[in-house]
Amino acid sequence: MAPKRKGMTRREFLREAALATGTLSLAGLTPLPAQAGQAAEPKLGAQLIGKLEGPELVLDPAKWPKKFSEAPMLADLVKQGKLPPVEKRLPEEPMVVKPVHSIGRYGGTWRRGFTGPGDGENGNRIVSMDKILFWDYTGNKVMPCLARDWKVSDDGRVIAILLRKGHKWSDGHPFTADDFIFWYEEVYLNKDLQPTPNPDFMVNGKPGTLRKRDDYTVVFEFPDPNYLFVDILAGSTAMGGGQATQQHFNRTMGAYMPAHYLKQFHAKYVSREEADRKAKAAGFDGWVSYIKNRWDWRLNPELPVLGPWKTVSPINTPTWVLERNPYYYEVDTAGNQLPYIDRISMTLAENLEVLNLRAIAGQYDLQERHTALAKLPVFLENRSKGNYDVRLDPALNGSDATLQTNQAYDADPEIAKWLQTLDFRRALSLGIDRDQLNETFWLGVGTAGSVAPAESLPYSPGPEWRKKWSTYNPKQANEFLDKVGLAKKDGEGYRLRTDGKGRLRLELLTAAGAFIPHTQIAEMIKEQWRKIGIQGDVKEVERSLFFTKIKGNEHQISIWLNDGSEVLYLFPRHALPVDPVEAMLGHPIADWYASGGTKGKEPKDPELKKALELFRTAAGKKTQERYKIAQEIWKIMVDNQFSIGTVGQSPAAMGVRIVSKKLGNIPSRQVNAQHARTPNSSHPATFYFKA
Amino acid sequence: MLAYLIRRLFLAILTMWAVSVLSFVIIQLPPGDYITTYIAQMSASGSFVSAQEAEALRQQYGLDKPLYIQYLRWMTLILQGNFGMALEYSRPVAEVIGDRLWLTMVVSVAAILLTWLLALPIGIYSAVRQYSIGDYIATFVGFIGLAVPSFMLALILMYLGFTLLNANIGGLFSDELAEAPWSLAKLWDLTKHLPLPALILGLGGTAQLIRIMRANLLDELGKPYVVTARARGLPERRVILKYPVRVALNPFASTIGYLFPYVVSGSIIVSLVLSLPTVGPLLLKALIAQDMFLAGTIVLLLGVMTVVGTFISDLLLIWIDPRIKFEGR
Repeated sequence: MAPKRKGMTRREFLREAALATGTLSLAGLTPLPAQAGQAAEPKLGAQLIGKLEGPELVLDPAKWPKKFSEAPMLADLVKQGKLPPVEKRLPEEPMVVKPVHSIGRYGGTWRRGFTGPGDGENGNRIVSMDKILFWDYTGNKVMPCLARDWKVSDDGRVIAILLRKGHKWSDGHPFTADDFIFWYEEVYLNKDLQPTPNPDFMVNGKPGTLRKRDDYTVVFEFPDPNYLFVDILAGSTAMGGGQATQQHFNRTMGAYMPAHYLKQFHAKYVSREEADRKAKAAGFDGWVSYIKNRWDWRLNPELPVLGPWKTVSPINTPTWVLERNPYYYEVDTAGNQLPYIDRISMTLAENLEVLNLRAIAGQYDLQERHTALAKLPVFLENRSKGNYDVRLDPALNGSDATLQTNQAYDADPEIAKWLQTLDFRRALSLGIDRDQLNETFWLGVGTAGSVAPAESLPYSPGPEWRKKWSTYNPKQANEFLDKVGLAKKDGEGYRLRTDGKGRLRLELLTAAGAFIPHTQIAEMIKEQWRKIGIQGDVKEVERSLFFTKIKGNEHQISIWLNDGSEVLYLFPRHALPVDPVEAMLGHPIADWYASGGTKGKEPKDPELKKALELFRTAAGKKTQERYKIAQEIWKIMVDNQFSIGTVGQSPAAMGVRIVSKKLGNIPSRQVNAQHARTPNSSHPATFYFKA
Repeated sequence: MLAYLIRRLFLAILTMWAVSVLSFVIIQLPPGDYITTYIAQMSASGSFVSAQEAEALRQQYGLDKPLYIQYLRWMTLILQGNFGMALEYSRPVAEVIGDRLWLTMVVSVAAILLTWLLALPIGIYSAVRQYSIGDYIATFVGFIGLAVPSFMLALILMYLGFTLLNANIGGLFSDELAEAPWSLAKLWDLTKHLPLPALILGLGGTAQLIRIMRANLLDELGKPYVVTARARGLPERRVILKYPVRVALNPFASTIGYLFPYVVSGSIIVSLVLSLPTVGPLLLKALIAQDMFLAGTIVLLLGVMTVVGTFISDLLLIWIDPRIKFEGR
């Protein structure tokens, strides 16, 4: 017998439950801010952008300190006889830096977040003082780094790099020109390790050579003038990127390596059988993959390095820990050997939400990587609780969400024709309401306009090119579209194709999971294009599929950042179709360019071809002339709107800096650019804990 | 019995082989390979990969060879006891998984225990006190756990934990102890961090178990033997626990089979959100990156777990339910 029912019937109960749940959900389980519509007041964004400042190098030897001191943890080791005294550890000509605010104090562990073994750049950038040359804190002027000076011959064919006498690796062994020769002869020219030559070490398709003039002078020689090479050594390129960046994850470049350590793994120095045996014993296929693992600073704590910190717990564990390099070559103006901070401890966040939440909770001391601009209101809300400040560092590239029209698209002849029609592209650009995008997705902090780089750079074609063809003018857009032959519209106001196959539909390809919400931006652009009668189809794909499709020349318009393009010659791939790995303006065109015309397809548009030819000549020209050429190229790109820019110069990528209030020597604004290895231009070795 | 065991073993091996082939093929299906993922990742993080580098990497990892050669290479390695190299981690697969395996088990076992500890008593109570307030409340909470997506629950609880309780966000250890060697303090730290993940992982399964338990038990409680036992004067607790509950446990025994792989894969999305160092996020990342050896090995592992688990649950059923016999000829 069923027991007698007491109390409410099921129906009544469900009704009560629904009411209760409704009330609960309204009671403000505090939402993480939605990405659309929560614009901060415009003034707030501006307040968070400081004044550009940074440490400066002291190049005059007369002003260098004569006495040196070191961190207490190293002083202890010296007392125990495990380390030579600091004067012996520093080079005779150390890099002397004047910290941005004050002389710091030693000690502390810098807590940071990283997302896994694929996030090597997180650490690479911080130790990028292992580059041969670098920039000043503005990112514009080339400065000494590992090299204390450099000389370029008048004809631009010979570039000599002068190293620092007495410079030592992190294990105390001397760092000399022999380390460059080892790299060149045993790695770069070794077909097992480097099957094909690298374009960075070539000019006009012809390879360069490296030789030693004396123990502390290395000479790079080219058959043709290569004035650009100095910039290449200063930027984050295959030749100039430094040991950490250019030898991580199986890379083989960087121009120098710790010869004394790597010889034991190299088939030329121990026999091939011995090298292979060692490799197999460690679980690798052969000596090639083993040596590549051994020279990877993120994986091998025993590898000698030159940067301020070295790995003690590798990146493929839950905590990537770095500790100070006792032989680091940088000192402050009072003679203190840098870095001030003893350790960097990076904890794994499997997922970006967790990383941002930890940043909000104040668990990181300085984090500019992976922090999302959209979460800015929540960061600001929790400032005092988490004991941190928020700084915004605008980048220098013109557009964080660039519509790249595929100039080699051929799957649909009608669409291909329109993508290659000048006024069509201009109309698409005039139909975008960039201010609305700026408010919604960049919280008003970006700059609306074209793809041209920031006006402060010498590459900029001029302020008038910011707004050229890049304002919101639907009336003019409609006129253009009517004029080019798309005047016929269907019942809903969308323009029809001229081949009679119905509505003109443009596919916008976006990648999921980038720093910037490209898909949502594309959706908004699609809405805005209604007013000019163009139907956009937003297709979001997984990130690696995005690049695969572009490589397969399948996309019509792709949306991605154009970061790096602000230094056109060092990182052209987001501005011009010159690199087959990422050529959003047309993979076949990049093939054509990279192969010197033997493969791929020539660009049909004469203006695009002109831009590429100009680009090709740049390496052989001196600095001032190169700047002029870059300006010409940008004028062509903006005038022809091959790449349609929307909003840029924003802090959205690596520009939201969460800084613990305990840290000192933090610049109020730092250069946010790929070539400046943000945050390296602020000399992380000068950061210190105030208490 | 022996014939049965041998036949099961043979079928198990066959299943394993089929799983390995299928998983290898399916993982490779999306266009591109690990290198394309690597390129995309580098580009999205403000770095770049050159064409030479991509080609050299492909050659080095053998990704330019046809699929069956890659599969044979993997199989040969496995038969030698080597599961290959995890491409992204640059470490042997066995190490990468092994690091996380036992933590995964700890978390999952905790979740399962929590689920059973909550669900069984509540289920029994619900059945015995059918339609009472307690029954409704218990079922309601259970259904909330079922209906709210677990990752959202995780995110909300994490945020609430931070704002209201100043608790540590995600992960299984606090920062200071994360890299420290094992000690009593670290063990205590782990126990402190365990309730939140275990609760979230467990809550979803609780409703299901409660309802099943309740339904089964209601079936049993209506049967004549229960009435007889009561009439004969057995204490109420013995009446319920000793007989009807044992019968109601029948479906639980048969679901143990899929608990084993659950223990290993441990709810991928929740682990991702809570940043638990378990095998779940590892599998997700490996699949997205098309990291052949890592993903293939984990899927193979799950297959082995399922086969072993099903076998054990079959044996368990034979033991607890005398009505089940071997399939006769």
